[in-house]
Amino acid sequence: MDAVFLGFAGLGLAVVLHVVFTAMTLGSGLLSAWARHMAVKTNDGWYELFARKAFKILIVSELFSGVWGTIITVFLAGFFTALTTLATNTLFIPIAIAIAAIMVRIPAIAISWYTWGKIKPSTHVLIMWIMAISGFFVPFGFRAVFAEINYPMAVGHYLQTGLNPGFMPYANPLFWTLYLHTVAAVISTGGFVVASLLALEKDVRGVKVGVRVGLVLLLAQFALGPLYWFSLGQYSPLLYEAVNTTYAPILGVKLLIIAALAVLAFKTLTSVKRGEVNVAKWLGPLALSTVVLGEVLNDGARYPNMVLIEKTGLPVELFANFYMEIPMPVVYVTLAFLGLSIAAFAAAAYFAIYKRFVAEVPEQ
Amino acid sequence: MDEYVLMPLSALGVYFHGVFVSLTFGLPVAIGAMLWKWWRSGEVIYLRAARIMTAVLAVNFALGAIFGTLVEFGLVQVWPGVNLAIATFAFTPLVLELIAFSNEVAFLILFIVTLGKVRPPVSLAILAVYAGFAYFSGVLITAVNTWMQAPWGTGPLAQALYPFMPEYGPLAIDVPKIVALKVAALAAGHPISILVQQPGLSGKVGVVLTDHAVAMYSPYALVSIFHNIIGATLIGLAVALAGWSYRYFKTGDGKYLKIITPIATIFAVLFVIQAPIVAHFMGEAVAKYNPTKFALIEGAKETYYNPLIAWLAYGDPNHPIVGFDRLYASCEKHGDTTLGDVAAALGLGEYLSQLGDVDVSNVAALKLRDLCVSDLQKAESRMPLLHSAYYVKVTFAILGGLAAAVLFFNFVKAPGLTALARKIVSAIGGERRGLFLLALLTVLGTVIPAVAGWAVREIGRKPWSVYGLLYPSELVTPVPYATSPGFLAFAYLTILAIGFGGLYAMYLVATREFKFLELLKKGAGVG
Repeated sequence: MDAVFLGFAGLGLAVVLHVVFTAMTLGSGLLSAWARHMAVKTNDGWYELFARKAFKILIVSELFSGVWGTIITVFLAGFFTALTTLATNTLFIPIAIAIAAIMVRIPAIAISWYTWGKIKPSTHVLIMWIMAISGFFVPFGFRAVFAEINYPMAVGHYLQTGLNPGFMPYANPLFWTLYLHTVAAVISTGGFVVASLLALEKDVRGVKVGVRVGLVLLLAQFALGPLYWFSLGQYSPLLYEAVNTTYAPILGVKLLIIAALAVLAFKTLTSVKRGEVNVAKWLGPLALSTVVLGEVLNDGARYPNMVLIEKTGLPVELFANFYMEIPMPVVYVTLAFLGLSIAAFAAAAYFAIYKRFVAEVPEQ
Repeated sequence: MDEYVLMPLSALGVYFHGVFVSLTFGLPVAIGAMLWKWWRSGEVIYLRAARIMTAVLAVNFALGAIFGTLVEFGLVQVWPGVNLAIATFAFTPLVLELIAFSNEVAFLILFIVTLGKVRPPVSLAILAVYAGFAYFSGVLITAVNTWMQAPWGTGPLAQALYPFMPEYGPLAIDVPKIVALKVAALAAGHPISILVQQPGLSGKVGVVLTDHAVAMYSPYALVSIFHNIIGATLIGLAVALAGWSYRYFKTGDGKYLKIITPIATIFAVLFVIQAPIVAHFMGEAVAKYNPTKFALIEGAKETYYNPLIAWLAYGDPNHPIVGFDRLYASCEKHGDTTLGDVAAALGLGEYLSQLGDVDVSNVAALKLRDLCVSDLQKAESRMPLLHSAYYVKVTFAILGGLAAAVLFFNFVKAPGLTALARKIVSAIGGERRGLFLLALLTVLGTVIPAVAGWAVREIGRKPWSVYGLLYPSELVTPVPYATSPGFLAFAYLTILAIGFGGLYAMYLVATREFKFLELLKKGAGVG
């Protein structure tokens, strides 16, 4: 296999997996913080248990999600040296925001879980909110990079003037539509994933809360999704064209799944009144599959280009690493071992969530 | 760009990463010992100890991972010139490190989730796999760091500029291309990343490294790997030892002695391997591959004779301790050779034209002798700091070793030595206080040598970031915000708040009981 294509495909795989995990954890983290807050405010034990159950998703998957973020960085710097160097020299501020957010978010998750019941509840609620909100600053940084890849406004300014664009990436016309689309997607996905998880436990009230959150944000997507699509048409016509032609089948499947998701969510809200939650089990997997397809459209449709400048594309090869022959066996062995880590993680998630090895009430 | 204001920031991130990585390496050994004892004895005290240390490990691992992320991003963002190394010498170690990191995380999660739910040997096996990947990660990252100390695979390149330097392994680079990149950046007066960021440049320049794995078989890397990993493991064990000794000191409960004994024993055995054996080979490697660093730590402005140091460093008591006087003298070998002469001899014109419209006339007259002397002067200015740091390190390592020996013989019976150890413990305040004080001394005897040792290792390679080849100014970011007071304040506050906040959280996890579970129990209907 061509090293450049392998780099692009490997990067794509890492981005998709990273985004799947973050979509699960950002939304469920927010729900968990809200429920913990409500528990302390109302002294209702159900909220406390709900918060703890939703939090299991984070405690199991957040570090593994971070692994894929690291893989993205190494693939970028190793395979696409020029792109990484140009991005860090230009988009310094958005990347710094994302890094600071990661630094707050990941320890806050571990601290939230392991100090639960050990410190004053009001202090714990504060840590939970810090954990939840800091997560949304990660895409606030990195989505600015994605917006610039599709419409390099700030990068163009830098290359023309030699001056660092500072906060200019946040004036990129693609950024805000992409960011809001992302935020709504992750909260919606988080709600549906929590609903699926609690459906396994027949927690009717929990399913209802998860579905309501997922559905409200899914309805918001009916406005934000097309808005992003139109903004691509205006500012990134090459990507827009690829999404609507070569990648139209994927777009079509994604839209069908969204429709199915909406129908199933409404059906669940009806059935929970009768205490039935079985149908909710499918909401999480469906929501996650829309995340995968959305990211394939947003990133994969760019190939064979890496950066798009309106109707022109800069091919992947322009940014690739030709400073040495890429040692393909090393890359293949690494990919195989990443498979092992996925298997180990899947086993951990199975034991933690399905077999309920991670107790809601900590052992004294 | 003032790169010197960014170095302490990077160092702070590296130090915090080092703190957490040390626990990541040391705690699995202590937890493993507890699981083994639990398996063999069935006593639940060992499982409880393993659980508490696992909770601390989990929080610690999250902190270590994010500081690792910070260091990694710090490299590509604050020092983007390093991207050229990541694309070449560091490519294979860093890609392999993905194996280590991803599996380390996955098996740690599996271990945490299954601890106490599966049989002890299964937990032990999962822990061993996790620890194996964690150490493998340490091996690879140390290999990358070591390449910056001794750029293996660059052959005589550094020696061509600095005649006192050795050759660094085989010549696995295309010298004219590498030199052209450096000269072009030097002539333009901007960091190397301004060149590297150009789309299409790597295609024009082509292959600069012919052996992708060369950084991994450096002898300096081999000894650094053992030195760093054992050093970090010792710190983790010392912290665990101090924590449990403190509990014993406060409560006098004999069950804590059962926990302390295996940890103290393992600590002492590892210390014996580290201090007299591995550290000796590390010193030899520094003397051989980092002549300026060695002169700095030995305070050798002038060459002198010291049979003990010479025997330890060179294996020959009659060998002189080479000082800066000889290093300066070697610069004279350049005569009046200029950078322009080198460029002409290497035929750089062809390569410079690939890099764009590069005019090197402003640096052509630079004499190599002046460059050599100027860099030696910059290195020599750090002598008081490096010399002091090194001997502080040695002193505390000796104290740590003595504490380890007393603890070992206090628990492991040896004719004469056990009685002596117990007398010492008794003399410093009795068993409870004495054991705690000795455990504290093991913390000081590992942490201070590590802190001072990293300072020696990193500051000692200055004025270069890649020893003998690249300066910090060539690797630093061109972004002006990076050195603005606002960004620096933000970065320092974030790092310090998370670092110290994380340490405090680990303390809470280790020491606090569950006091606020009523609401959760009410929700779960269990109490």
